[in-house]
Amino acid sequence: MLISEIHYPASVNDALALLDEQPETILLAGGTEIAGAQVSRFLQFPQSIACIAKIPELKKTTRTEQFMEFGSCTSLTGLLSLGPGILPHPLAQAIQSIGNPTIRNIATLGGNLASRRQFMDLWPFLVCMDAQVEIRNRTNSHWANLFYLADSSSKPFFPEKSILTRVRIPLVEYSNVFYRKIGGQGFPHHESAVFVCMAEIQQNKIESFRLVFSGTRVFRLQEVELSLFAKKITNNSRELAFARQEYIREFSRSGFLKPAIFSSLVTDAFETLFGASM
Amino acid sequence: MGGHMTITFQLNGITKNVKIRSGDRLSTILTQEHPPIKSLIPDCLSGHCGKCLVIMDKRLVYSCLVPAFRARDAEITTIEGLSDSDDIRDIQKGFQEAHCHPCNFCKNAKTLVIWDLLNRIALPNESQIEESLSVVSCSCTDPVSLKKAVFLAADLKNRRKYHRADK
Repeated sequence: MLISEIHYPASVNDALALLDEQPETILLAGGTEIAGAQVSRFLQFPQSIACIAKIPELKKTTRTEQFMEFGSCTSLTGLLSLGPGILPHPLAQAIQSIGNPTIRNIATLGGNLASRRQFMDLWPFLVCMDAQVEIRNRTNSHWANLFYLADSSSKPFFPEKSILTRVRIPLVEYSNVFYRKIGGQGFPHHESAVFVCMAEIQQNKIESFRLVFSGTRVFRLQEVELSLFAKKITNNSRELAFARQEYIREFSRSGFLKPAIFSSLVTDAFETLFGASM
Repeated sequence: MGGHMTITFQLNGITKNVKIRSGDRLSTILTQEHPPIKSLIPDCLSGHCGKCLVIMDKRLVYSCLVPAFRARDAEITTIEGLSDSDDIRDIQKGFQEAHCHPCNFCKNAKTLVIWDLLNRIALPNESQIEESLSVVSCSCTDPVSLKKAVFLAADLKNRRKYHRADK
């Protein structure tokens, strides 16, 4: 039985000072990811834990016309409580697909985005929405695209001695969203993955396109996303057919889950978003 | 210290100082309290069965999924802390009138879920009831009579509130 040292930093600065002194410290807010994965009576935690759930600056919510900004310890229920008029509808649906209301009461946005074990449910969704995250360490803080939290080997990454403090979500209502979860219900495991494809289409032209598939790794082809910009959607669009083939070809090289699963997902997504001509 | 630490929290309105270990689940320390919280029956320890539900800081949570140290300075309410309230009597009456009889394993959990739901939403619709009750995994009652019990409890509560406002 490993006895851990529990810390209760009162502020982000206190938490950063602790991380500086004890870099092995694990930050914990909701704790659902750690507790949900263990069924023994006594929970095993790393040697040092910082309980950050009650740090006031990590629970703030602000809203402008362009974006919503959430403290990383905002619970998923807290996000949903904003109501359907404020939270983009597909994002609300994605949140509702996580666990059940009771799990969402304690699970936090930061916990969902900064897991080092695997990319959790909201990660691909918010990457598609171009969400930004604020990462703070003792000397500075910076905003980065959420996609920054994937390393060069496409695995989850989080900088040392740093805290994810805020998440900025653009209030863009994507008109075309295709979203699927694979791997069954319950806590995400090594075969769980989330497929998200979003497109903004105006006057039959693609204004923006994003496709992210993530689980223990992430698969995304930004050059293909860019190549579809301003392309017209026609019955036999060669560009769309080429993009779909490119996705399938590159995925089969990635070694991440079974290519047949991805192939059917990407085909369904293209058919749903761009019509049955695919 | 022997690996123990002491945390303070409010349990059903009473301040408690409790010795815990870092790996204790909240459900474990609540069932070992003096007097023990008998309404909790931690079973699956993985947030599925729902028999360890408590209200923590005004939110319904699975106490088996909450590390005990996370409860420091929290306000925790169990069914024992609500048992004398009119709201609970409304729910019990709703069960009775709907001929809905939850088993002894899940009755407290279902009552707490309905209490929480009616506190948030005065007139819940069917899908809100279904979603709320999905957090307790026990099929001892049929969904139709369970929903009817919730509607009846909501009606009783709303009528009671209305009459109070009248006085």
